[in-house]
Amino acid sequence: MNRTIYRCKRLPVVVGARQIAVTTADDWTRRWMGRLGLLIALLAAILFSSGAMVRAGELATPSADIEDRHDLAFQAAVARSASAVVRIETVGGLERVNEVLFGTGPTTGLIVDPRGYIVSSAFNFSNKPTSILVRMPDGGRKPAQLVATDFNRMIVLLKIDVDKPLPVAETVAEKDIRVGQWALAVGRTFDSDKPNVSVGVVSALGRIWGKAIQTDAKISPNNYGGPLLDIRGRVMGVLVPLSPQAASEVAGVEWYDSGIGFAVPIESILQSLPRLIKGEDLKPGLAGINLGGNLYIGDAVLGPVQANSPAAEAGLKAGDKVVEIDGRPVSRAADVKMAISRRYAGDKISLVVDRKGERISASIVLVDKLEPFQHAFLGLLPMRDGSRDGTAVRFVFPDSPAAKAGLKAGDVVLAADGKPLKGANELREELGARKLGSKVELQVRREGRNLDLTAELAAIPDHLPADDFPTARKPRNVPDGRPAVGKIAMRVPEVAGETAAYVPESYDPDAAYGVIFWIHGAGGLDEQQLFERWQPICDRYDLMIVAPKSADPQRWTPMDLNLIGKLCEQLAETYNVSSARFAVCGYREGSAMAWSAAQRLNDRIRAAILIEGLPMGPSPEVDPLHRFAALIVSAGKPGQNRQVEQVLSALRSRKIPATSWSLGEQSRALTDDDCRLLARWIDSLDRI
Amino acid sequence: MTIALRNPTLLRQTMPTVRCAVALLIALAMGAASAAAADLHQTISQAQKKIVKLYGAGGLRGLEAWQTGLLISEDGYILTVWSYVLDADRITAVLDDGRRFDARLVGADPSLEIAVLKIEGEDLPSFDLAKAVTVGPGGRVVALSNVFGVAQGNEPATAQAGVVTAVTQLAARRGVFETPYRGPVYVVDAVTNNPGAAGGAIINYRGQLVAMIGKELKNSLNNTWLNYAVPISELRKSVDEIRAGKFVTRQPSETEKKPAHAHTIAGLGILLLPDVLDRTPPFVDHVQDQSPAARAGVQPDDLIVLVGDRLIQSIKNLHSELEYIDHEDPVKLTVIRGHELVEIVIAPPGERGKP
Repeated sequence: MNRTIYRCKRLPVVVGARQIAVTTADDWTRRWMGRLGLLIALLAAILFSSGAMVRAGELATPSADIEDRHDLAFQAAVARSASAVVRIETVGGLERVNEVLFGTGPTTGLIVDPRGYIVSSAFNFSNKPTSILVRMPDGGRKPAQLVATDFNRMIVLLKIDVDKPLPVAETVAEKDIRVGQWALAVGRTFDSDKPNVSVGVVSALGRIWGKAIQTDAKISPNNYGGPLLDIRGRVMGVLVPLSPQAASEVAGVEWYDSGIGFAVPIESILQSLPRLIKGEDLKPGLAGINLGGNLYIGDAVLGPVQANSPAAEAGLKAGDKVVEIDGRPVSRAADVKMAISRRYAGDKISLVVDRKGERISASIVLVDKLEPFQHAFLGLLPMRDGSRDGTAVRFVFPDSPAAKAGLKAGDVVLAADGKPLKGANELREELGARKLGSKVELQVRREGRNLDLTAELAAIPDHLPADDFPTARKPRNVPDGRPAVGKIAMRVPEVAGETAAYVPESYDPDAAYGVIFWIHGAGGLDEQQLFERWQPICDRYDLMIVAPKSADPQRWTPMDLNLIGKLCEQLAETYNVSSARFAVCGYREGSAMAWSAAQRLNDRIRAAILIEGLPMGPSPEVDPLHRFAALIVSAGKPGQNRQVEQVLSALRSRKIPATSWSLGEQSRALTDDDCRLLARWIDSLDRI
Repeated sequence: MTIALRNPTLLRQTMPTVRCAVALLIALAMGAASAAAADLHQTISQAQKKIVKLYGAGGLRGLEAWQTGLLISEDGYILTVWSYVLDADRITAVLDDGRRFDARLVGADPSLEIAVLKIEGEDLPSFDLAKAVTVGPGGRVVALSNVFGVAQGNEPATAQAGVVTAVTQLAARRGVFETPYRGPVYVVDAVTNNPGAAGGAIINYRGQLVAMIGKELKNSLNNTWLNYAVPISELRKSVDEIRAGKFVTRQPSETEKKPAHAHTIAGLGILLLPDVLDRTPPFVDHVQDQSPAARAGVQPDDLIVLVGDRLIQSIKNLHSELEYIDHEDPVKLTVIRGHELVEIVIAPPGERGKP
């Protein structure tokens, strides 16, 4: 870890610590208020023993005694559970996992079963050591086997052979833990014969979707795997690094010693212990439910239910309102997320949903991996007139399910299987989540007459459109009070400099516009050339272009992602941008950043174009609510570019519509025609 | 309950006797709690008066030009860590009340990485090293330092509360920590060891001095920064020795007789890095083959910190100190090599050929 970066990271910690210091006196009083009962007893003992019952004025002296008693209480608490806290040493293993450098130092474990079962933090073993040794309280070392891992709570179970039962510490039920009570974090890394301790309070309960206790005691590799104790020395949880954002074994380690630390409640560990003892790895459980929008506002209404998922098999449907999970009432989408996040793959959950006033029970067996989701395709492009009276058909793709069903340009699709759908977005969402090969009956209005057509949904095609599509909207006079159009300069408050963008002069706030984020290659951006070329194309295809510049002109760094994310939001707040035609385009060296933006900003970005570059890192997640398509533009002799073929097949195996196009045998600069081809592809992305 | 606290007499008149006794106990308890809280405030503000903000060399390449020091006598002796900050012609000490003093480096012990400074003052609040105490793991402590240099002028040092996490030996972990110090340390759970904090105090809740905060160190066993302090009991003897004249730099006023023929750096076969600053640290650049220094094992990149018991702070210092050693006598050097202190005795050139 870089020293300078670390210092920066540490600064707020110290500020926090100062604040703690400033309020120590108050805190101290408050904490003691919560312990009045104990205090009365304690004080009574002091007062009676010293015979100073009435002389309140002399309390300054006994209070110093209270300080000693505090220290003694901490020491006694640690001593009560110390025999169950073991030191673990590892041999071999990787030097580095992701960005985290691994040391060779000892780590900590907690005995949970007298037969030789020890739990620890998965972090301590994420470097895959070749052998594990547990140092027993008597000083002897025993080889340990890694029995199983809980990938949902990042806990591992180790087993050593024992000739006599091992000591196990007393534990506390989760319901008996209160925010504000003392919390002692214990490890055995500094000395093998004495545990190390950090003292704080319980900061919060039910963190990380109900899976962790939060504490302000200092949690770090010095005590990961050790217990979090209450003031009586009972185990509340096992210390682990965790992150609300990421799920890897090393996620959360960047918060070490920050005053934000986590422990997995021992109660939940003991519950899953029988499965771990059998050698069963526990994985997070997935249902295939999508919870769109704000999880904390409104009812727990399901978004599209993923085809082939446990939720779909159980008969759940988009629009169902979840009212009960496992017998407990549910009021918000967040409750659903929490209930499922706590469970494992293989667990069965029972739900009660409200479907149009009817209570329907369903039971779901969670899985560890969902089949990759594939959006279903009807085969039309909608008009972009913003209509809410059905979807007017702009274009029907030849040979598509829509064409086979007899749908024609100019038709208006009003409903699917009798369900009225108010516009293109609703139709796309409804049909996209359906199973490939399933039949849909469309209610269509044609020249004033209604007719029913039946189509069999297919996969989204991955070829490039050869010709321009018919016009998507009727031009009209633009209203007054539009936001700025033409070439504009965008500013993000925390980033220096400006970002150039172009909004068509004819911008109509009622029409949704496509977006292309141009991610330049090494050596920066020739702004003038780029905008001269793209301006007429943007006007023609209802497209806006944004051209951010990397902070370092030579290369993009992860820091620049912040800028791109902020620009996305700013653009969407100011203009009517299409939720389907939002693309990022990486030019040569910019490809890696473009791909990373598509992956990280998958709430917004729907497509990536990589020009003479290849995807790096994970692909964006695709689910009913998050579409994604990729276009790989390369140079080289046809059939020779094996890398491109590999990338395409990898993307297609994840059910991402992936298209490739060759610039020819030689690498070359883009022409106007090339750019029109890219724009045409983006123009096709609001396909249904 | 607040009323009960403010007016127990009233309560006594209106409540039955049994409840009265309970109420009184509550009142006493709250009184005790606030008394203790007030005590901690008192404790911290008393101790803050004994902390000084030190300013010296640095300011380049992210190196801070400040650190913290402890007043250890009424007449202005200051204990701090020995660091590049002290490699300055002028060291300024700013007291808790904002008074500024020029501080003189009295001496330093490289093996403990401590230095003693002196300011000209009287009746200064100070810690008595002889009265320092020890604390066990789980013991509550307060760290006082000018961490990150946030305190300026008459602002008191930053207080951070925590407990002693462990009392452990740095010596048992050779190569793990980048320091020549090989003794016991207190590891604390407050984030104490950040830029500028070195030289600060760890006190217990009664205000008694426990330890001095050390320089920033990383634990290479698990790549975490260590928050630690060195027990005063480990430092006391060396501080006394420095004050008594050991490990001190020769003062111009000292009139020891120089020998007619003294050693020179070049004569020993040592080539130093160029002398470019007021106080360029004497790093060995090159050792001549077959020279006395080479035979004794001096190596390039060694930093010469002591000649005999005399502290060497600069190349100028080293040149002048050698002038006091007769060329027929051996030269005892202490160097920092990597993170180890190494003692080297260079035999005089005349002894060549002796077994």
